[in-house]
Amino acid sequence: MMMKSVLSLCLLLAVAAALIVPAGAQDGSLDKIKRTGVMTIGTRTGSPPFAYINKSNEWVGFSIDLVEQLVKPALEKELGKAIKVEKKESTPPTRIPLLTSNAVDLIAGTMTDTPERRQSVEFSLTFFYTGAQFLVKKGSPIKSINDIGGKRIAAQQGSTNAKIIREKKPDAQLREFPDQPAAFQALAQGQVDAYTNDGIQLWGLKAKAPKPDDWEVVGDFFSEEPYGMAMRKGDLKLKQIVDAGLKNGLESGKYFEIYEKWFGAKGEVPYPMTPQVKAYLLKQIGK
Amino acid sequence: MSYQFKWSVLWSGQSATWLLQGVLTTIELSVLAWLLAVVLGILSGALRTVSFAPLRAIAVFYVEFFRNVPLLVWMFFWYFGVPPLLPRAVQDWLFNHGAEFWAAVIALGVYTGARMSEVIRAGILAIPRTQFEASLAMGLTVGQAYRLIILPIALRLIVPPLTNESLNLLKNSSVALTISVAELTFQTRQIETYTAKAIEALTAGTLIYLVLCLGVATVMSRIERRFAIPGLIARVGAG
Repeated sequence: MMMKSVLSLCLLLAVAAALIVPAGAQDGSLDKIKRTGVMTIGTRTGSPPFAYINKSNEWVGFSIDLVEQLVKPALEKELGKAIKVEKKESTPPTRIPLLTSNAVDLIAGTMTDTPERRQSVEFSLTFFYTGAQFLVKKGSPIKSINDIGGKRIAAQQGSTNAKIIREKKPDAQLREFPDQPAAFQALAQGQVDAYTNDGIQLWGLKAKAPKPDDWEVVGDFFSEEPYGMAMRKGDLKLKQIVDAGLKNGLESGKYFEIYEKWFGAKGEVPYPMTPQVKAYLLKQIGK
Repeated sequence: MSYQFKWSVLWSGQSATWLLQGVLTTIELSVLAWLLAVVLGILSGALRTVSFAPLRAIAVFYVEFFRNVPLLVWMFFWYFGVPPLLPRAVQDWLFNHGAEFWAAVIALGVYTGARMSEVIRAGILAIPRTQFEASLAMGLTVGQAYRLIILPIALRLIVPPLTNESLNLLKNSSVALTISVAELTFQTRQIETYTAKAIEALTAGTLIYLVLCLGVATVMSRIERRFAIPGLIARVGAG
């Protein structure tokens, strides 16, 4: 009897899943945005300066500015009407499900464009380029990925960095936390010896720490992390518009103004753009 | 632009190993936390019914303090809050020897213990007061009366709500991923990271939790039937 009820329950679940998943599949995001006048983006709350809640309690950041100032105008031009951008919290483990369930139309945060992810979502042009490094207490013996054998290393759950450490340094004791504040807390208290994430995020964390001088970002990039905005698989019309917005920004120089605002000498996290990165970004638009 | 299912991600690559590791960690964590919860629950549940007021107060404090704060907060408390109180050398030793797992066991056990305490108290209160008085009249001490008469009856009465709490504990163990314990939910997210196939990974996790919980429920219903006190519980639709 037990077995039978288990079976029927499984069947019920399977039917439910089959009904839920394709819902809205025919309705392109663009039509939905046009109908409702709202584009919902999934972004971060604790990843300065890409997307975070600032001291005056506003949800701001570089990625959000790119959407507001480059993507939104391109979208409005295409649709011929004003639209509103709504923000929802998304974290590495939730961002793809948020997209596939139609809860958000665009992920604009700190998502790395990888070949595996490309099988599930569409990526825009790369809008930022960084690589994994380590954040350590000043004076730590850890200087690069070669020094982490046997050490306790924090990483963000669902991130590409954790994956690389597991493959390259299986003897490191990896501790994965769902968000940046918890990982940093673990580093500050000594639960872990180093925290690995994309270099730029570590610089952001250091800049926001109560005593920035206590912390050091060390090591060469041990991964390549090109950030892109993500959309539902097959949502090509939206992708075209997002790419056009970004391309326009790169061509007109607006992108670099926004970059300067967040990463310039007076920005939230000073992080001058290297010539290689600039060349990488411009190469995407054929320059 | 519908979602492309690819169920093979669940058994190709390392996924199967990860899921298995996740299930084992979830079971280990749940069993240890359950034992802790039952011990704390019986102890504090019994203490709440004794006549000596200070002991009752301690038990009330334990129950109200621990059940009224979210489990997530307790996870952070035992992992981030407690270790700094220990000497540095002890901290380092703990952090190298699975501190997150033990913090999760304690957090889950102490929290669920506070909830089980109420269940056990209800069981004790369901026993007529005269039963206790009769035990004392037979020459038993208060401790003996609880150990030999009251608790054995109470425990046999409370199997259904205890099943509930046990299932909650099993499912609540997923909160441990916030302090980096690689249990089942953690591993399903891991598969999602590697394959970007979230729905498949979540479905696998859901089904495994379902099977685990049904297993627990089946065992508990066997126990319930086996230990039912004849005449004390009317069995409706037994069988």
